[in-house]
Amino acid sequence: MNLKPTIGMETHVELDTESKMFCSCKVVETDEPNISLCPTCLGLPGALPVPNKKAIEYIVMLSLGANCSITKEGMFHRKNYFYPDLPKNYQISQFDFPVGVEGSLEIVIEDSLHTVAIERVHMEEDTGKSIHLGSGRIDSATSTLLDFNRSGVPLVEVVTKPIISSAKMAVAYIEELRQLVIDLGISKGKLEKGNLRFDANISVAEEGSDELGVKVEIKNMNSLKSLEKAIDYEILRQTKMVQDKESIIQETRHWDENKQVTLSMRTKEGSADYRYFSDPDLPNMVINDEFIEISQNQIKETPEKKRKTLLDTGLSLSDSNYLDKGQRWLYELYLSTVKETGDCKSTFNFLTGELQGQMRKAEISELPQWLNSEKLASLINLFENNEVSFTSAKDILAKLLIEDIDPKSFASDNNLIQSSDNDEIKALVTSIINENQDIVERLENPEDKLVGYLVGQVMKSSKSKVNPGSVKEVLLKELFG
Amino acid sequence: MTKDFNIDDISNLASIHLEEKEKLKLQKDLEIVLEHVDALKNIDVKDEKIDIHPLSKVLELREDESTPSLSHKDAMKNSPETKDGHFVVPPSIE
Amino acid sequence: MNRNIPSISKLNNLFLDKELKPSELFEQVYENASFTESILHAHLELFYDEGIENSKKSDERFLKGESLGKLDGIPIAIKDNINVYGYKTTCSSKMLSNYVSPYDATVIGMLKETGSTFTGKTNLDEFAMGSSTENSAYGPTKNPWNPDYVPGGSSGGSAAVVSAGSAVASLGSDTGGSIRQPASFCGVVGFKPTYGTVSRFGLIAFASSLDQIGPITNTVDDARIIFDNIQGYDPKDATSIKPEYTEPKNKKLKIGIIKELMQEGVSEDSQNEVNKVTQLLENSGHEVVETSLPLTEMALSVYYLIAPAECSANLSRFDGVRFGLREPASGSYEMMNKTRAVGFGEEVKKRILLGTYALSAGYFDEYYGRALKVRSKIISDFQKAFDDFDFLISPTTPSPAFKFGEKTENPLEMYLSDLCTIPANLAGLPAISIPTGLSNNNMPLSIQLMGKPCSDYSLLDLAESIEDMVSFNHLPKMTKGDI
Repeated sequence: MNLKPTIGMETHVELDTESKMFCSCKVVETDEPNISLCPTCLGLPGALPVPNKKAIEYIVMLSLGANCSITKEGMFHRKNYFYPDLPKNYQISQFDFPVGVEGSLEIVIEDSLHTVAIERVHMEEDTGKSIHLGSGRIDSATSTLLDFNRSGVPLVEVVTKPIISSAKMAVAYIEELRQLVIDLGISKGKLEKGNLRFDANISVAEEGSDELGVKVEIKNMNSLKSLEKAIDYEILRQTKMVQDKESIIQETRHWDENKQVTLSMRTKEGSADYRYFSDPDLPNMVINDEFIEISQNQIKETPEKKRKTLLDTGLSLSDSNYLDKGQRWLYELYLSTVKETGDCKSTFNFLTGELQGQMRKAEISELPQWLNSEKLASLINLFENNEVSFTSAKDILAKLLIEDIDPKSFASDNNLIQSSDNDEIKALVTSIINENQDIVERLENPEDKLVGYLVGQVMKSSKSKVNPGSVKEVLLKELFG
Repeated sequence: MTKDFNIDDISNLASIHLEEKEKLKLQKDLEIVLEHVDALKNIDVKDEKIDIHPLSKVLELREDESTPSLSHKDAMKNSPETKDGHFVVPPSIE
Repeated sequence: MNRNIPSISKLNNLFLDKELKPSELFEQVYENASFTESILHAHLELFYDEGIENSKKSDERFLKGESLGKLDGIPIAIKDNINVYGYKTTCSSKMLSNYVSPYDATVIGMLKETGSTFTGKTNLDEFAMGSSTENSAYGPTKNPWNPDYVPGGSSGGSAAVVSAGSAVASLGSDTGGSIRQPASFCGVVGFKPTYGTVSRFGLIAFASSLDQIGPITNTVDDARIIFDNIQGYDPKDATSIKPEYTEPKNKKLKIGIIKELMQEGVSEDSQNEVNKVTQLLENSGHEVVETSLPLTEMALSVYYLIAPAECSANLSRFDGVRFGLREPASGSYEMMNKTRAVGFGEEVKKRILLGTYALSAGYFDEYYGRALKVRSKIISDFQKAFDDFDFLISPTTPSPAFKFGEKTENPLEMYLSDLCTIPANLAGLPAISIPTGLSNNNMPLSIQLMGKPCSDYSLLDLAESIEDMVSFNHLPKMTKGDI
C-alpha cells in the first residue's frame, strides 16, 4: 500500500497597526502586563467593538497579494468558546463571508515552482496571553496568569486548501506567506515574536484515492524547523498506524519540542461547537471597488513580483528565491549592482557569499553609506576581468567595509593589479618548470593534480600578482604543447 | 422536536453548572418556550435576506489611531485575584 | 399636566426665575426617595453626596446666569445596567454585586455635560430579563400605585422612581418593551427611540440588535428634552446611526390601529383605551383606520429566539476571570461553571440555555436562522404599513399591572406581557407609551404609538397632543405631595 500525506495550513498573521482591531488601544510590544487595555478589549460589560479601517485595508492587500477574490458584502461573526484568556468568551471572527476567497500563492522548492491554493483569508482578533505557573510541567500548573495586552490585536487567518504534500512544501509556503506580509508592509512577520503562528492539518491516504484520511491538527510549532520536523513526524506516525491497521483519531496534537514528538492534547467534550452567528454589534461590512482600489494602490511589492524581477536578470530560480526571501537591502543592492556588472551569477555569489560573510564576521548589520552598488560593481569587475585575484578582492572588500575607498585606485596603489602580461608569466612559468624538473617528469596528462601544484608555485613566486587562469594556460602550453 | 433537547449538553456549552432539581424546572420551562416558537415553522422564509442591523446600516470603520487606555489600576480594580500586574485564575490547563 | 413634580421646562423656568434652586429640588427629590424607598425598593443605590454637590454647582450657574440648558440641575435616575464611572453597576445580578465601573456610558457622559444630577441607580430584572422586576437578585420593586402590584420590567425601578417623585426623570433600556411596559404599569411616559439614535456604548448588553436606551418621564415634553440630549451618532457604537429625522407629509395624520393587538389575549380595559384615543384623534381631524400586520403574531416567537441567542454570547463575559463574582475551584473551567451557576438567577440561565440551544450545531437553521428571516419579513411588513400610515397605535400592554407571583409559574405568561411592545424592537422603530386612563382596580392604562424609523420627534409631537387631549391627571398612592 502506497500512502500519501495531505496537509492544509492555517496561519495567523498579526497585523502591524497602531491600534487594536476593535478599539483604540495601542498595540504594544512589552513585558509589562495589562497596560494597554480598555473596556472593549478587556471585555468589560457594556463595551462595544468598532473595526479598524487600516486592518481591513491590510487584509484586502493580503487577499489581493494572495490572488484572492474579495467578498464585497461581508460580516463579522462571533465564535463562542470559553477560555480564560478570551475576554468575552467569544472571538470576533468571520465565518461564511471571509474577506478573501479562492486565491493561490506561488512557492519555490529548490529549483521548481509550485502553487498552493488558498481557501480563505479572514479577519479576527487575538486573545490575551496565559502564563501557567507551577512545577514547570504543563499538566501540573498551580495557577494561570493572564496578560491582556495582546487581546484584540488584529489577526488575519490564512487557510490553504488541503493540497500541500510534504513538510518541505509547507515550509516553502510559510516562507512565501511570511515574505508576502513583510513586502506588503502589513506585519512585522517575525516568527519568534509570534507575528506568524501556524497550525497544520495532516492526514494520510492511499495514493490515487479521492478521499482524504482522518485529519489531525498539529499546534505549537514555533519555528520553520519545528514545523518541518513536526510534519515529518506526524506523517510517519500516521503512516505507521495505517500500515498497522490502527485507526487514526481526529484530534488536536501539539508538537513537543523537547521530546521531538506530537502529543495528544486532551480536549473538552463538546468544545468544538462554536455556535457562530453574525455579531449584532457590527453591521454588515461593504468593501466597495473604491476601497479595493485604495488597498491595491498600497501594494508596492510582492515576493512573486520580486522573484520575476530577479529571474529577469538571468538568475536561477533558487538563487532568485534566496534573494527574494532575504533582507530587503540585499535584494536592492543586487539589482543595482547587477545592472552595472551585467553578470548575475558572479554578482549574486559575491554579495551573498563574500559580502554577507564578511559583514557577519565583522558583526556589521548595515552597509556603510559609501559602500554603494557602483563601488561593489567596480570591485566585482576587477576580479571578474582578472585584474585582481579573488584574495585581493576579498581584502579590498574588507577595507571598503571600514573606509571609503575607490576599489580600482586602491588596487593599483597597493600593487594588487594582476599581470596579464604573457611574457612576464612565461618567464615565471619557465623558471618554475626548471626548478621542479622532478615533478614535471611525473606529469602524465593536463588533468594531473600536480598541475595545480605548479600553478600554485608560480602564483607564490609572483606574490599573487598574476592571474591564475593565465598561468595555467601558459603552463599547460609549455608542458603539453 | 424537544426530545433532542439535552440540558446537560447545553449547560456544558454555556458553561453553567446546573443542580439536578434546577435541571427539571429549566427543562420544563424551555420545552414550553420551544413548543411556542415552533409556530415559526409555518412561515415561508425561502427568499428572505438577513441583515443583522434592523435599519440595514452599513458598517463604518474607525481610523487607525490610538487613544489612551484605562489606567493599569482601573483595568485591574475589579479583578478577583492579581499577581505582579496579572489577572490570576486557577490553572486553565487540565 | 397636573403631576406632583413640575415638568422639566417648568422647573427650568423656576430655576431661571430664582424661585427654586436646583439643590432645593434635589433635596426634595431625595426626601421623596427616602420616604418611598423603604416600601418601593426602586433605587439600588442613591448618590446623595455627589448629587447635592452637583446640584450646588447648578445653583452657582443659575446665579451667574450661566445655565447649561434645560437639564441643568434636573435630578435623573439611571437604570443599573448603564455604566457610571466610579459607581457600582450591578444589573441587579449577584454576578456584579461588587463591580465598580471604570468608565461612563456615552449617554452618561452626555448627561453630565447638560449639568443634570444623578439620584442614583435603579432596580431592574436581572440583566434586563423580565417584565416585573421580580427577577432582581436584590428583591423586587413595588408599584407606587399599589405595592401589591408589580411595577413592570425590566426598567421597573426607573418607572417607579418617576411615578413616585423620587427622580424627575430616568433612563431605562428597552429590548422587548422594558421601558414602555413598566412606564405603562406605573402611569408615566416611556419612550423607546429609533434603534441606533441613542448610543448603546456603556449599556450592558442583553440583546444587541434590540436594546435601546430611552427616557421614562412624567410628560412627553420631558421625554423629548431628555431624548434631545442623549441622541446622536456615537463613533464608539458601530450600530449607531446618523439620523435624519422625518416629518409627516400632512398636518392631518393617517393612523393605523394594529388589528392583531386588538383581539383575544388583550384585555378589554386595554382595548378601550385605544378606542378612547381613536375617538379623540378623529375628533381633532385625523384619520384612524384598522390595519392588519399578520406577522405581529409571530413577533413573540421571533423575539424569544433572537434575544436569548444574542444574550447567550453577550453574557459569556461574566465568567469570574477579570471582574465580578468568582466561586473558588481547582481549575479555570470549573471556576467559570460554578461562578455562572451561582452568579446568574434562574431566568438569566433559562435564556442563556435557550439561546445556546438555538445557536448550536444542527439547530441553528431551524431556530435562530429562521427567526432572523421572519424578523426580516416583519420589518418589511412594517415598511409597507408606513407607506400607508404616518403612525400606528395599539395598547402598550395586554393588561394593566399584575400582582407579584401571578405570572412566575409559566414563563410564557410572563413573556406575553410584552406582546404589544416587542414588534417595535424587532423592526427598530420608535415607540412611546403614554398613560391615558385607569383600570377598574385603579391601576394605570396606556396606549402605544409607533412610528417609522427616525420619526422620533414627530412621534413625540403626536404623543404630546394625545397627552393634552386625555389629560391624565391621576396620582399614585406612594407620593409625597407637590413641590
